Amino acid sequence: MTVAPADSIAALGNLRAARRKRRVAKIHWVDALYQVYLAAIFGGGAVLFLSGITSGPRLDQAGIDQVLAEGPALLGVVVAAAVALGLRSGARGGPIALEAPDVRHVLLAPVPRAAALRGPAVRQLRFMMFLAVVVGAIVGQLAVRRLGGSPVAWIACGALFAVATVALGLGCAFLASGRRLPHWVATAIGGALLAWAATDVFELVPASPTAYLGELAFWPIDFDPAAIAPLVIAVVVLVLGLASIGGVSLEAADRRTQLVGQLKFAATLQDLRTVIVLRRQLAMELPRLKPWVRERHHGRFPIWHRGVRGILRWPAARVARVVIVSAIAGLALRGVWEGTTALVVVAGLAMFIAGLDAIEPLAQETDHPGRRDALPLSTGHVMVRHLPVAAVVMVGVGLVAGATAVLMDPSVAGVKLAAICLLPLAWAGGAGAVISVLMGAPSPSDNWQLLPPEVQGSRTAFRTVWPPLIATLGAVPVALARIALENDGNPYDIALASGVVVLVIVGLVAAWVHQRELIKEWWRSVQGMQGMSTAATSGTSAADADRGSPPANRSAAAGRPAGKKPAPRKVKTRLERS
Amino acid sequence: MTKRKKKGQGPTPVLVADGLMKAYGEVEALAALDLEVAPGESVVLVGHNGSGKTTFLRLVAGLLDPTEGDIEIDGAPAGSLEARAAASFLPDEPVLYDDLSVREHIDYLGRLHGTEGYGDAEAELVERLGLADRVDDLPARFSRGLRQKTSLALGLARPFDLLLIDEPFVGLDLSGRSALIELLHERHAAGAALLVATHDPSYVERAERCIALRQGEVIFDGAAAAADVLALVS
Repeated sequence: MTVAPADSIAALGNLRAARRKRRVAKIHWVDALYQVYLAAIFGGGAVLFLSGITSGPRLDQAGIDQVLAEGPALLGVVVAAAVALGLRSGARGGPIALEAPDVRHVLLAPVPRAAALRGPAVRQLRFMMFLAVVVGAIVGQLAVRRLGGSPVAWIACGALFAVATVALGLGCAFLASGRRLPHWVATAIGGALLAWAATDVFELVPASPTAYLGELAFWPIDFDPAAIAPLVIAVVVLVLGLASIGGVSLEAADRRTQLVGQLKFAATLQDLRTVIVLRRQLAMELPRLKPWVRERHHGRFPIWHRGVRGILRWPAARVARVVIVSAIAGLALRGVWEGTTALVVVAGLAMFIAGLDAIEPLAQETDHPGRRDALPLSTGHVMVRHLPVAAVVMVGVGLVAGATAVLMDPSVAGVKLAAICLLPLAWAGGAGAVISVLMGAPSPSDNWQLLPPEVQGSRTAFRTVWPPLIATLGAVPVALARIALENDGNPYDIALASGVVVLVIVGLVAAWVHQRELIKEWWRSVQGMQGMSTAATSGTSAADADRGSPPANRSAAAGRPAGKKPAPRKVKTRLERS
Repeated sequence: MTKRKKKGQGPTPVLVADGLMKAYGEVEALAALDLEVAPGESVVLVGHNGSGKTTFLRLVAGLLDPTEGDIEIDGAPAGSLEARAAASFLPDEPVLYDDLSVREHIDYLGRLHGTEGYGDAEAELVERLGLADRVDDLPARFSRGLRQKTSLALGLARPFDLLLIDEPFVGLDLSGRSALIELLHERHAAGAALLVATHDPSYVERAERCIALRQGEVIFDGAAAAADVLALVS
C-alpha cells in the first residue's frame, strides 16, 4: 500500500475547514445573541458575587504579609488540582473529545495521528487559554482593591497565572495521553502532588513545587523570580505534550468519544446520576466478578440482600475513593472544630459524594423504572427498603471521617464529640444523595420550562443546591459545639440537640422516599383540577382538559377522592392466593 | 478438532498475531492467540456471542490495545501508518458523520487514503449497493440497513490488502446481501485477504478457511462446511 501523508493531511484540513464553515453558517444570529445574553447574565452575576465576597477595606501591611505568606500555597493547591485533573484525563484518552467518526475513520486512515489531532488540540488549548485570561484578569482586578498596587500589573499577573495553570494542566493531559500513562500512575502522581500542595497550606511539609507558580500571581506586590522557573516548566510541558499527542490510545479515545458527549449533555441537564454512571464507564470502574465476602441469603429481606451483594462487589477504586472522601470530610470537620466554620460545606459535600456511592442499589432502581414498576410492590415500599444498606455504609463512612478528625489531635473529648455527631453526619450525607438521585434531572415536559430562563435558572439552582445543603446540615452540630465551647456552653449538649434535629430531618427524607409517589400523584391531581377549572372557565370541555393530564385523574377514575390512594400492599398472584 | 497453520509456510502473511491476548480486568476476552493469514486468503471467524470475534478484529484494526502479544499487518505493527493503509475495518455498528452526505463521506475518506475521491469506480460501487438515489442524502437520516450499506461503501471504496468485517450482513436486505457477497468475491479475486466475522453459516462455505472461537480461544482452524460450523457454534 502506498501512503501519501501530505495529501491526506491537506484533505483533512480542507474538509475540516469546510465542515466548520458549514456549521457556523447554520448558526442563526438570534441564537448567537441569546447565547451572548445568557453568558453576560451568568458571567456578570458571578463577577458581582465574587466582588461582593471579596469587598472590604484595603488590607494593612500585616494583612498583606499574611496573604503573601499563605496565598502562594493556596494557589499551589489550584495548580496541583489542574495537574491532577489533567493527568487523570490524559490517562483516559483525554483531554480531546473527538467525534466518533473521527476516531473510526481519520485515526484509522494512513494520516499521521499527530497531524490529525493537532487541530482539535490547539482549538481546545485556545478556548481554555481564553477562559483563563478572562478569569485570571477578573480575579486580578478584584485583588487590586484589597491589596493595592498597579491594576494593570494585577490583571496581567492574574491572567498570566491562570494561563500558566491551564498550560500545565493541559500539557500534563496531552503528555499522559500521548505517552499512554497507566491510570494508576496518573492517579498516584496527581494525588501525591495534590496532597503535597494541601499539606503545604498547613506548613507541615517543605514548599510544594506548585506553590512556586502561585508566587507568580503576587508579583505586583512581591516580585519573586522563583516563579519564572515553573512558568518555563509549564511552557515546556505544554510543548512536549503537544508533540506527543499522536501516541494516543485509540481504545481510550474511542471509549471517551462515546461517553464524553453524553456526559456533557447529562451535566447540562443537571442529571447527576447519569453523570456518575457515565464517569464510571469512562474510568472503566466495573463491579468485581467475585465479591469481597460471599454473602449468604436465606430468602428473607431480598432487597436488603440485593443491596449488600452490590456493595460487596464494589471495585477497589470505589472503596478507595469513598475512604479518601470520608477522610477529607474528617479533615474538614477538624478544621471546623479548630475555628474555620466555612469548612462545614467541604465536610457536607464530601459526605454527599460518599453518599452517592452508598446509595448505589437504590440509584439502580431509579435507573430502571420499568423493571422496578414490574414488581408487584409499590415503589415507595421498594425504595425505602434500600435505605438500610445505605445507612450501614454511611455509618462506615462516618466512622472513617470521625476517626480522621480525632486522630489529627487525639483526645477523649474529641472521641465523645465524634460519637455524638457520627449518625447525623453520616445519615445527612446519605439523605442528600437520596434526594439528589430520586429528584433526577428536570423533566423536559415540566410546566416550569415555559417560564423565562432567569426563573428557570433560580429553580435549577435550588434543585442543585438542595441535596448538598441537606448533607451539609450533618456537619453543623460540630460547628455549633465549637461555638458553644467558645461561649462557655456545653458543647456535647448542643451537638446532641442539633444532631437530633438533623436526624429528624433525615427521618422526614426517609418518609418522603416512602410516600413520594403518593405525593407526586396528589400534586398531579391538584394540577389536573386546576387545569379542569381553567378549561371550564375558558369554555374548553373537561374531556379535553383530561386528555392533557392523564395521570392526574386515575384517582377519580378509580372512584377515590383526589390525592388518596389505598395503602401500598403487595399484590398476590393467583397462585399465591390459592 | 483444532488444526492450526504452522508459521513459516507459504508466502509472507498479510496478518500475523503472535501471543495476542486481551483482558478487561479479570475477564479474558481473548486468550493468547497465534494466527497467520496469507495474502489473498479468505477467512471467516465464527463463534458464539462473546467468543472474542469482535475483540480480535478490533485488535487487528488497532482500535484496541492488546494486553499482551503483537500484531503485524503487511509486516508493520498494527496501528502504524503502513498497517492503517493496508487494513480496512468495517465495524458491526456503522459510525458516520452527521453532517456529510454519502458522496462527501466517500470523497473525504477516499482522499485520506490517497485516492482521487468520488469518481466513476465509487459511483459504480454505490450503485451496486443500492445507494445511487441517496448519494447526496445524509446517512444520519437513513435506516439501519442504509447506514450499513454506506459503511460498507466506505470500507470498500478505499484501497486495502486486508479487509476486516464484523457482522456485515446484519440489517441488509436480500439485494444488499447479494451485492455484498459479490463485492467481497471480487475483492478477494483481486488479491485482498478477507477476515469476516459472521453468524451466518451459509457464508462460511464461500471462505477458504474457518476459524472458530469459544470463550476467547481458537477451537477450530481450517476448511469447514456449514454443517461443521453449526456443530462448532451450537
